[in-house]
Amino acid sequence: MPVPAKAFQRWLQGVAPSASMADISRISGIKRTTLAQQLVRGKVAESTLVSVSRAVGINPVTALAVFDTFADLRREPPLPRPEELVSQIATTDLLHAVIARSIPDDPGAPPAPQPPLIPAPHTTSVRNWVDAIDDGELRHRVSAATGIAPQNYSAQLTANRLTPELAIATAVAAGVAPTSGLVATGLITEEEAGWAPDARQRALARLSDGELASLAGDRLQAIGRTLRRQEQDHERTEKIWENLG
Amino acid sequence: MIEILQWSTLSVCSALAVARIPSAVRGRNRSLFAIFVLATLAILLSIDEPYMAVDSWLGSENYANLILRFIIYVTVFLAGRGVAKAFDDSRALRRLTGPVGVGVLALIMLATVVLFLLADTAGSSTGLAALPGRSPENGLLIGFYAAAGRLYPAYVAVCLLPATLTAVTQSLPGAVRVGAALLSLGFFALILGMLFPVIPDSLGFLQPVINYTAVLALMAGLACIWIGRVLLRRAKPSLRAFTEK
Repeated sequence: MPVPAKAFQRWLQGVAPSASMADISRISGIKRTTLAQQLVRGKVAESTLVSVSRAVGINPVTALAVFDTFADLRREPPLPRPEELVSQIATTDLLHAVIARSIPDDPGAPPAPQPPLIPAPHTTSVRNWVDAIDDGELRHRVSAATGIAPQNYSAQLTANRLTPELAIATAVAAGVAPTSGLVATGLITEEEAGWAPDARQRALARLSDGELASLAGDRLQAIGRTLRRQEQDHERTEKIWENLG
Repeated sequence: MIEILQWSTLSVCSALAVARIPSAVRGRNRSLFAIFVLATLAILLSIDEPYMAVDSWLGSENYANLILRFIIYVTVFLAGRGVAKAFDDSRALRRLTGPVGVGVLALIMLATVVLFLLADTAGSSTGLAALPGRSPENGLLIGFYAAAGRLYPAYVAVCLLPATLTAVTQSLPGAVRVGAALLSLGFFALILGMLFPVIPDSLGFLQPVINYTAVLALMAGLACIWIGRVLLRRAKPSLRAFTEK
């Protein structure tokens, strides 16, 4: 849920007392009309708050935690779990790792340098994150805690989306750091969530070959299922347009 | 009221026919062009002034009405075949274009001609409104003649309604689903047409309303699907969607 405009303006007074709305829109890169509209409607989007806090040099997590909706962010978060870190590695990077580990070692040559991982979020990061922290009852608990219908929750995951509020509720229900959910949804960066720069790389390195192979396999299978469904929809649509278009 | 309905339906159908000319010239789904042209002609022959003009030219024996019936049969057949193919319903396609479908159409056409020839049809009368009152026998013949004229559209509608209703719930582009919903409404109205003999006289105004609802819904449904192709053509699903950053 977006934060109330009044509370946002109070916060802004505190962190940038002399800045006008024009200044804020210039330094944060948010269009003036967008900002004005959100203020008039009385609701400021979380992404706006994040951009503004970055622009004034405040960690977005600290900024979000000021607002009561995000009170869960006030506590010192636990470290991200290895499964969470791995869930935020793009499928292409996992496949690169599979190939890199499959190439026989050349004793003469120095080990090839590992290319940097694609920064989170990736195209299925939300669903992968929830799967990584799900003990089987997680969706149930989230829907009980927030009142969201399970099918609406699933629909958001399928679309690789989750509102910041739901992402935090999911993390709380799973007992992991609330910031992880905001990383998976792309609202904040890994660094802003306090993840070490090489945390994901190290979590990947600690996976056994078997774990890596099954994980990459699971990802491919899920992508395959989604693609097959999209292809069927596409074929059905093409057939309709071929005959009635 | 009915005049407004008639003329607006006529303008919709003729506008669609004209808009379809470029596609017809290119050779794209000419049957769609034919459907719009035939529907325009059918509406023209349902309106008093053009009917009188055409029928007096044909000898004032109401042959224009017989022609109107055949125009409707051909239009419904073409539209039905297109819809069955488009929504990939092979059973409906067999029931329309297979031996059963051709048999039903031939039988209804034969019945239409025979009943028309048996009845006293002298003297132009739009919709044959003045003929049933001449004698009880004529009333019966014209009644069956009109029922035969509604039977074939209803038969086609029954064959296709399951396919279009299913399409409404499938994950297809919005315009296609709206089109399928409109087609379903049109088919439902065609089936309702079979109830005309049991509609009490006090509700007689329902008859033209149902008829024009059917025509307008079917034409709008076809137009919607066609416009969807022009506006919403989507790229084929690909793995790139899962790797692109």
